[in-house]
Amino acid sequence: MQRGTTRKFSTTPGTRDILPPESTRLLDVQARILERFRLHGFREVITPALEYSEVVEEPKLRDASFKLFDPDNQMLLLRPEMTTPIARLVAQRLRNVPTPHKLSYGLPVYRRTGVGRGQSAEFHQAGVEVVGSRSPGEDAGAIALLIETLESVGLRAPQDFVLVLGQTAFYEGYLRQVAPEAASELLAALAAKDLVRVDEVSPDIPDEAAGVREIPRLVGPATDASVMQRAERYAEGEAAVALENLQEILAHLDAGGHLDSVMLDLGLIGRHNYYTGAVYEVYASGLGFTVANGGRYDNLLRRFGEPLPATGFAISLERLMSVLPDRELPPLLVLVGGTVEATRLAAQLRSSGVPVLHLAEDFAPEAALGYAISVEASWVGYPAPDGMKLARAEPGGEFETTPTEKVAGRVLS
Amino acid sequence: MSGLRVAVPKGAIFEDALAALGGAGLPVEVLRENGRRLFYEGEGAEFIVSRPSDVPVFVEHGAADVGIVGKDVLEEQRPNVMELRDLGTGACRMILAAPKKKAEEVERAISHAEVVRVATKFPNTARRYFESLGRQAEIIELHGSLELAPLVGLSECIVDLTATGTTLRENDLVVLDEISRSTARLIANRGAYRLRHEEVAALLDAMRGSLRG
Repeated sequence: MQRGTTRKFSTTPGTRDILPPESTRLLDVQARILERFRLHGFREVITPALEYSEVVEEPKLRDASFKLFDPDNQMLLLRPEMTTPIARLVAQRLRNVPTPHKLSYGLPVYRRTGVGRGQSAEFHQAGVEVVGSRSPGEDAGAIALLIETLESVGLRAPQDFVLVLGQTAFYEGYLRQVAPEAASELLAALAAKDLVRVDEVSPDIPDEAAGVREIPRLVGPATDASVMQRAERYAEGEAAVALENLQEILAHLDAGGHLDSVMLDLGLIGRHNYYTGAVYEVYASGLGFTVANGGRYDNLLRRFGEPLPATGFAISLERLMSVLPDRELPPLLVLVGGTVEATRLAAQLRSSGVPVLHLAEDFAPEAALGYAISVEASWVGYPAPDGMKLARAEPGGEFETTPTEKVAGRVLS
Repeated sequence: MSGLRVAVPKGAIFEDALAALGGAGLPVEVLRENGRRLFYEGEGAEFIVSRPSDVPVFVEHGAADVGIVGKDVLEEQRPNVMELRDLGTGACRMILAAPKKKAEEVERAISHAEVVRVATKFPNTARRYFESLGRQAEIIELHGSLELAPLVGLSECIVDLTATGTTLRENDLVVLDEISRSTARLIANRGAYRLRHEEVAALLDAMRGSLRG
């Protein structure tokens, strides 16, 4: 080895090793989320981490993707998200299966990021896609599932999080009606979240088109009817259809009791070009970034030869974890002893529901306590005549003899 | 709730920012109490004082709910934040400048698509400017005293911000082109804009009132 060369044994920028207890919590949250998706009939799919580069068309996502070449010199990329791969999967594999397809996933995705921007190159997403239905009831169903899922892992609306709902086609439809020449510039300004630019582009626009400036600023709780009432003033042509669609979604959400968690923002038009209708983002207090986002994308599957309407969302698990309250880990007993008796006792305790980590060699009590603390166990035990010597896993834990039949009760209590 | 947390930039637009926030009823007097502190708590609002280029970072990450920063910084960094209002103050221009003696030479080099060396604090802005012209530039990023670069031969020209042009004149630099104009903007974190919309909207309304009056 030459002196002075850096050995690249660390993880690459933006990636990391995830260690217990964080890894345990991550997988636990993911499992609870997928369980909730199953409760709504969604079935998991797994797609390859590598896709042909042509599969992803969205410019922002292509730019952000890691690229590589296969043996035939075809360009591949590491999937930057799951919506497009699932659209491809549906078009290729589920052609003759009755719709709608209700599919879910919990998988890592990959994006190139700048160093120092506090972003990850690899992160976990869990989400659903409903493919093959145009019904606003399906949009509302996905939104309700997202809200329920966030609640099921411990967040409360509206104090912990809010789902911000918009309708891409409303502003677009309105602009096509009143200011077709300026439409693309205004949409670009709004996509960049630049309301100042929206005002700069619009001075030439007559007063009767005041919606150009007002629609992007229509924000308020979904329970407050005034936002929709103000929007009504601009509902003509395509915009009217879009607003009606939003009304129906809100009616479904109200029926499910989910309206309290929803905030309307008619300036929200979605981060990707493929969104065509209702779009939404979830924000949590104390976090500047979106926890989840989703929306309707009725034109994406056409590219894959199967023109099916679709809607779905993705939850960013690492971001969700950062706002979740800590959950107590299930108790763990470290059982110390290399004897056959110790092995038998471990099996017996596990069969009565006690999680047991068996150290099949002799450890002095102090070393065993130190070990138990390092693996975040709650108890340490040694086999003893008629039972166990049991201590809480804490510095200076005192061992007490406990009859075998009482061990499970003490550990699990 | 302790009110909004506001990121205020040090330097040229500090006073303009204070005037705008004070005019909207925020307790900016606390910022004048002690010039060395970086974090202030007032009645109904908290303030962070940072370098202008760090304001969008605090806001994008949600460490501040709203902030005031020049459009030049937003153009350079393109942060993922809501840009809510043009305060109209702190006006300045992003310009391409070169030493008076060499101005013609530099203009000729640019028009012939030769590679020119440009010193700047705004590398993305400079790169986009030259790309938009279809011209080539070698961009050298500096963190201060740009005027020095062409005088000592580090670069042939500079891309920099100027309000009055005094520093340019003092260093015998002439403006070759105006790239953009900039004023101070009110920006908001995407989450805070929704989660605390009432407070943000109230601040916007109050600013509108005070600017008109």
